[in-house]
Amino acid sequence: MDLFPQFLANGLVMGVFYALSALGLTLIFGLMRVVNFAHGEFYMLGGVSGWFVTNHLGLDFFSGLIVVAAFMAAVGWLVDRFLIERVRGQGEEPGILLTIGLSIFLVNGTLLLVGPAPMKVAGAMAEGPLFFGPIAVTKLRLLAVAVGIALIVGAHLLIRRTRLGAAMRATFQDPMAASLAGIRTGHVYAATFALGCTLAALSGMLLASIYSAQASVGGLISLKSFVVVILGGMGSFAGAIAGGLLLGVAEAMWGGYVSMGMVDVIGFVLVILILLFRPQGLFSIRTERA
Amino acid sequence: MTLLSESPSPSAIAQAADAPVLAVEGLHVAYGSTAALHGVSLDVRAGETVALIGANGAGKSTILRAISGLLKARSGTIVWNGKAIANLPADRIVAAGIAHCPEERHVWPNMTVQENIALGAYLCRSREEVQRRIGMAFHRFPRLRERSRQMAGTLSGGEQQMLAIARALMSEPRLLMLDEPSLGLSPKMADEVFDVVRSVNGHGVTVLLVEQNIHNALGVASRAYVVKTGRITASRPSAELRGDPDLLRAYLGG
Ligand SMILES: Nc1ncnc2c1ncn2[C@@H]1O[C@H](COP(=O)(O)OP(=O)(O)O)[C@@H](O)[C@H]1O
Ligand SMILES: [Mg+2]
Repeated sequence: MDLFPQFLANGLVMGVFYALSALGLTLIFGLMRVVNFAHGEFYMLGGVSGWFVTNHLGLDFFSGLIVVAAFMAAVGWLVDRFLIERVRGQGEEPGILLTIGLSIFLVNGTLLLVGPAPMKVAGAMAEGPLFFGPIAVTKLRLLAVAVGIALIVGAHLLIRRTRLGAAMRATFQDPMAASLAGIRTGHVYAATFALGCTLAALSGMLLASIYSAQASVGGLISLKSFVVVILGGMGSFAGAIAGGLLLGVAEAMWGGYVSMGMVDVIGFVLVILILLFRPQGLFSIRTERA
Repeated sequence: MTLLSESPSPSAIAQAADAPVLAVEGLHVAYGSTAALHGVSLDVRAGETVALIGANGAGKSTILRAISGLLKARSGTIVWNGKAIANLPADRIVAAGIAHCPEERHVWPNMTVQENIALGAYLCRSREEVQRRIGMAFHRFPRLRERSRQMAGTLSGGEQQMLAIARALMSEPRLLMLDEPSLGLSPKMADEVFDVVRSVNGHGVTVLLVEQNIHNALGVASRAYVVKTGRITASRPSAELRGDPDLLRAYLGG
């Protein structure tokens, strides 16, 4: 029983990363109506490129984070301009097929380049634990969580307070009106896709500094991100955060009290419950928009 | 006889002053493989208010969408102040001084009135200038000032129309294109909208107006083009059309 605070803390830590990754997915869905099945592969690429820049280029963790962010934003931008652009406005199915194909390409391309072994991002900090009453958290986790929270706040400010963010919201709510105001909606879509990819990738790099990155992890991450987005409500910013924390805590509790082996099932149980009892998600898209 | 003289003749000067700011020539537009415009030609002179009238589905909105860059022209030219603008992207058209206030208003429902207005000046990079224009918009539309923090989606139809016009004016256009601004409004609200159109025109903004309500349209416009199944079938001064209901009925086919 006295382990409860520890499980809760572990769950919240994981939840921050789930939220960060799902935020990228929900932004892309909310603004672009693209169901991005390659999302987990962008997360994976964040971890792998984080491993590459910290281990092979010898960058420290924070410089590495910035380089990975810039690299993945560029990848996201190019993927949108050269691939997603072609299926824009044709409904959701072509986008689904396209991103499934892209995910297969990215997994196998990565396997070919770096192989299947786990790769650890060189950490920013020693592993030593900190104690808060009954809870122990490693310094590394605390740092990663702090960075994750900063990124979530940063994304929120970008969307709420900047000219680009206003253009994103306008394009989401009425693309024609946005064009008529002089907003280049093509660029807004590319920027949104780049932002979504970057958030996933940074979540992947942060977690790969705690655990490790692996070329094949993307599928599970995509599924979990979808779980979070369905829990929170498609396209909802606050929902992605709430859903991420909920999934993290539920998994930690399940793993702590019930069975470690079945942890990945809990998300799907939650999704089934949500779809049965509150299909619009915890946060309806009507009340809270990206 | 004066063709070879060195200085332009008086009539040429008069013509230049009277030259159209907007000249559309042989415009063909299609939605996918379905043609909607079959060679539309029209022109608008500086300071005029010109109306496009015609039945539902005639192609009036399509003409505006092609001018504002929402639709590509299959062929034909659109010349604005002497520059060919056909098939430029919409943001370049706005930047060139043409604003399009679309049918059914299309305000951003989950943004505040103030945000909607401010984004109308998206291409203006100066914060102070945007603030100045917002001040002017609120001066012109005091009702919007009262509701500035309200979500645009919660406004009444008439208020949304005013907001859509205010937003279009934020780019400080020299040509304002309005698509059915009185659609779905009470007669009183419609009158208010047309008062605004007159006042905007009075400040030197050229207006190209699409309107179902012919009496309102002919009341503000000096000339009207009749559009029928993707073609211009007549161009007449408003007074002439107003004074001759039979003529009007013949043109509109109703
Ligand atoms: N988005 C669209 N897709 C396909 N056809 C369209 C579209 N919009 C208009 N049309 C067709 O183009 C023609 C002209 O329409 P429109 O310009 O909207 O007419 P108006 O504004 O005069 O009522 C009509 O036949 C209409 O059915
Ligand atoms: Mg129309």
